[in-house]
Amino acid sequence: MPEIIIDGRRLKCEEGETVLDVCKRNRIEVPTLCYHEAIESWGGCRLCMVEISHPKWPGWSNWVTACLYPVQDGLVVGTNTTRVRRLRATVLDLLLARCPNSSVIQKLAAEYGVEDTNYEPRLDGDNCILCGLCVRVCDEVIGVTAIGTANRGASKEISEPLKEPPVDCIGCAACAYVCPTDVIQVIQTPDYRVIWDRTFDMYKCVECGISHITVEQKDWLIAKDNLPADYYDLCDICKRKHTAEKQKELSML
Amino acid sequence: MTLTVESVNSRIDEICADYPVDEASLIEILHDISSEYNFLPADALRRVSERLDVPIARVYGVATFYKGFSLTPRGKTIIRVCKGTACHVRGGDRNLDELQRILGIGAGETSEDLEYTLEVVNCVGACAMAPVVVENETYHRNATPTDMKRMITGEGSDEDEGGDE
Amino acid sequence: MRFNNIKQLEEHREQALKNQQKVKNTILVCGGTGCLASGARDVEDELRKQLAEQGIDMEVELQVKITGCHGFCERGPIVSFIPSGILYEKVKPKHVEEIIEKTIKNDKIVTKLIYKDPATKKKVQQYEEIPFYKHQTRIALRNIGQLDPTSLDDYLVRDGFKGLVKALGMKPGEIVDEIDKSGLRGRGGGGFPTARKWKSCIKAEGEKRYIICNGDEGDPGAFMDRSIMEGDPFDVLEGMIIGAYAIGCEEGFIYVRQEYPLAVVNLRKAIDILREVGLLGENILGSGLNFDIKIARGGGAFVCGESSALMKSVAGKIGEPRAKYIHSTEKGLYDLPTVLNNVETFVNIPIIIEKGGDWFTQFGTEKSRGTKAFALVGRVNNTGLVEVPMGITLRELIFEIGGGIQKGREFKAVQTGGPSGGCIPNELLDLKVDFDELTEQGSMMGSGGMIVMDERTCMVDVARYFLDFLKEESCGKCVPCREGLRQLTALYDRIVAGYGTLEDLDKIEWLAQDVMIGSLCALGKSAPNPVLSTIQFFRDEYEEHIRDKHCRAGVCKALTRLVIHDECIACGKCIEVCPTDAITGAKKTVHVLDQEKCIACGSCVEICPVDCIKVEPVKVAGEVAS
Ligand SMILES: Cc1cc2nc3c(=O)[nH]c(=O)nc-3n(C[C@H](O)[C@H](O)[C@H](O)COP(=O)(O)O)c2cc1C
Ligand code: SF4
Ligand code: SF4
Ligand code: SF4
Ligand code: FES
Ligand code: FES
Ligand code: FES
Repeated sequence: MPEIIIDGRRLKCEEGETVLDVCKRNRIEVPTLCYHEAIESWGGCRLCMVEISHPKWPGWSNWVTACLYPVQDGLVVGTNTTRVRRLRATVLDLLLARCPNSSVIQKLAAEYGVEDTNYEPRLDGDNCILCGLCVRVCDEVIGVTAIGTANRGASKEISEPLKEPPVDCIGCAACAYVCPTDVIQVIQTPDYRVIWDRTFDMYKCVECGISHITVEQKDWLIAKDNLPADYYDLCDICKRKHTAEKQKELSML
Repeated sequence: MTLTVESVNSRIDEICADYPVDEASLIEILHDISSEYNFLPADALRRVSERLDVPIARVYGVATFYKGFSLTPRGKTIIRVCKGTACHVRGGDRNLDELQRILGIGAGETSEDLEYTLEVVNCVGACAMAPVVVENETYHRNATPTDMKRMITGEGSDEDEGGDE
Repeated sequence: MRFNNIKQLEEHREQALKNQQKVKNTILVCGGTGCLASGARDVEDELRKQLAEQGIDMEVELQVKITGCHGFCERGPIVSFIPSGILYEKVKPKHVEEIIEKTIKNDKIVTKLIYKDPATKKKVQQYEEIPFYKHQTRIALRNIGQLDPTSLDDYLVRDGFKGLVKALGMKPGEIVDEIDKSGLRGRGGGGFPTARKWKSCIKAEGEKRYIICNGDEGDPGAFMDRSIMEGDPFDVLEGMIIGAYAIGCEEGFIYVRQEYPLAVVNLRKAIDILREVGLLGENILGSGLNFDIKIARGGGAFVCGESSALMKSVAGKIGEPRAKYIHSTEKGLYDLPTVLNNVETFVNIPIIIEKGGDWFTQFGTEKSRGTKAFALVGRVNNTGLVEVPMGITLRELIFEIGGGIQKGREFKAVQTGGPSGGCIPNELLDLKVDFDELTEQGSMMGSGGMIVMDERTCMVDVARYFLDFLKEESCGKCVPCREGLRQLTALYDRIVAGYGTLEDLDKIEWLAQDVMIGSLCALGKSAPNPVLSTIQFFRDEYEEHIRDKHCRAGVCKALTRLVIHDECIACGKCIEVCPTDAITGAKKTVHVLDQEKCIACGSCVEICPVDCIKVEPVKVAGEVAS
């Protein structure tokens, strides 16, 4: 089993883990903005940068993203060196210039000593930091790929295809859920949900009447996973209740 | 020419038939569509998405990521001003400024009558003749603002002396 | 026709040689992008027409061939003759009659078409004697301009596929050893040892492997790879086939920049021919090797020259790089082991195998073996493609081969390595051109763009130009590159508009250092090079922009005021070129420039024969800018 040293602590780790995995398990604070445990690491925000060196190569050091860098036995990691803090401050300063109104970014930047951005703020911008989580969750986790990016470089943006309400969207709202800066608007009523300029009817639990899933998501999941047509008739809570009751009956028998 | 969904679809089907049904064919197909229509019509992108079974979000992402594609119709004459380094240090910007002035459109724009599209490109590989301006297929070498005026208004001739006594 | 084995190929080569020897004269018309742009097709048509009219046998008596680029594109269309070695420049259809009459029929020279050396103004009649050509050592470019790029016979006559024939008689490991011995390093910019790359791909596990040729040539201002793909496509393909045999791979791609239509056409033709004769496909030359190559056209994105972005693009996706903590030789295209090499790297392979690795080590320096092709462009007298042994100094390249600076002006800097490179000033002109020396000076050899700058070039503008380029070309995935380059450009915009402060300059340096460390891929990591190297060597120019509101080169418009001085000879040339009619003047009187109308485009400065239009400081920021 490889061992690595993080901020002076010698820590055991598994083959194939990333530096961030080890940090998380050992409660070592490393800020992240484009990372989510359910989604493959991507390395776009650069906030999780740490400094590494290795006794095997004296004099060599480098800066890498903790969320992607695989552990190797003997690796020495600094998560809070002066250079790392400067780098994070710059990244947050740049993000603050991009999204001056985002409270999430304001707070993080302040933690690194940036109260006001040193750069030219974007005046008409939204709070999207282009972490890509929404697009990736929709593609990799939900498997729908309803939204994507448009353009590149400084004019890159998260976009509905052809700038029209996304035809493939099933209204699951996973994208809104993972967005770190709450950019994606969701309007939720008992009967419908509005997201990405589309309105989805809600499907109600036959037992308690709570609307727990959009009709399109239900149909999509049933088709995809080959489930019985009544699979989503009950909401999770009622389903659990039912299972519990059934188990009780069984044990009584 | 009006583009109906049916005509676009059948043309796209023909184009796609030349390629394997695979995401890897996407960029080649978009090039072919672009040569066909001079731009990428939205209906064409929808059809390609269906034919290749690639989500439209990804097709749209690719179509907007690469600079070789345009989602709006382009003019009959496409003028590409080279902004590569060699052309830049030899004053290529002057030609761009002059063309913007004469045509009244900015880089990347198309004139309202769909006559001209003005584009900026990064090196057309003819750097030894910098600055270069390409008008459809015609390369203008060592181009000057005066040449630009001639090119658009058609006054005078662009003939090089050729050889020298 | 199909070659089922080596013997059949060699028999065909014999036949081709015999046919070739029968031909008395060959006229080579350059058909590279440059010459085509200046009307080479018309010259060819006219030649063929008139020769046919005169009943000359075009199979035996005389052949007309369209070749690849010679590298003299500025003086095209180029027409040369074998065996006499005569070379004509700027040939027009109207000259054809005289050429046939004098040169073809009577072995005489058409004096007005002879190449004139721009530096010495001497006329040079023989191809080999042209100074621009004489100092070169052509290995990668050896065939270009000498053969019809789409004729397999021409390629065979010039020893084509001898490397492959020899390779097929070797073990794959021996091929890699031979490359190792040659010391060949990648020509795409990084200079990574080619043999080491191949070895690590061979070692990697995977159900199959890929080989890719990087023909993206994104460096704006470079065209070596274009010329090779257009002018000698079989050579590139042969290099790839040998590579495929060495690493054990059945599928290859050649990724070609979308702005290079002729390269695509010629490569396509060459691939079709090779498939037809069985040099691509199943069981190549009876060796059991199966290998085929597909062309993947780029979509117009500089970042797709980067290996991981290129592989995404080949797969039909957005060209976003990924972190390469695992190398693409292990996990490349479709996550399978992949070798990616540059066009020029591949053309070096066949000849190294044919002549042996030791032969190659006679060229170049200890750590950088062989030659390198450069696109020598900008404000130098002889612009074009040159191939020189590594280790040559920048001074030799620019002043001997390049013939010095245009119009006798003063040299200021040379930019190498494209947007990832840096500017090298006068003091460092004796630097040797090899992978390591240039890197030490904060530049890099890059793929071979070499842009010469003179006193008319503004170094602040050059840095801003590259930033602007990279800001547009950044894929936008990571924050330091996407946001950082945007902010750096904004800071430069302030300076060139006359609002910059010295604190802005500090901010630029600070941010540039963080973009360098923090970015995900080499595009962002190297983007600060032009910024930091111009600040290092030309800080005074920055300070002039900021403090004196003065751009001495007259490039930054808001900081440029043009004044016509008394040396004016009233030639009127400036009046002609001024697009806004800002200059007036009668005969024999010093011309006058109207500041209100002047847009500081600099056309007049460029044309003035006595250099009397001077750049003067603008006192108040925004005085001229509106
Ligand atoms: C932004 C960027 C652009 C690049 N562009 C090119 C290119 O146009 N051509 C090229 O051969 N290599 C280019 N490279 C280098 C390639 O990533 C790669 O290292 C090279 O093709 C490997 O081939 P070699 O070992 O034969 O040099 C680029 C790299 C980066 C980071
Ligand atoms: S709500 Fe639509 S866009 Fe968002 S993750 Fe679900 S399917 Fe994708
Ligand atoms: S919308 Fe939210 S999740 Fe999507 S890229 Fe922007 S910040 Fe990230
Ligand atoms: S450095 Fe620039 S080009 Fe490279 S991944 Fe980051 S944003 Fe994209
Ligand atoms: S969390 Fe690692 S780069 Fe964003
Ligand atoms: S820089 Fe303009 S053609 Fe290369
Ligand atoms: S294109 Fe003819 S010499 Fe370059």
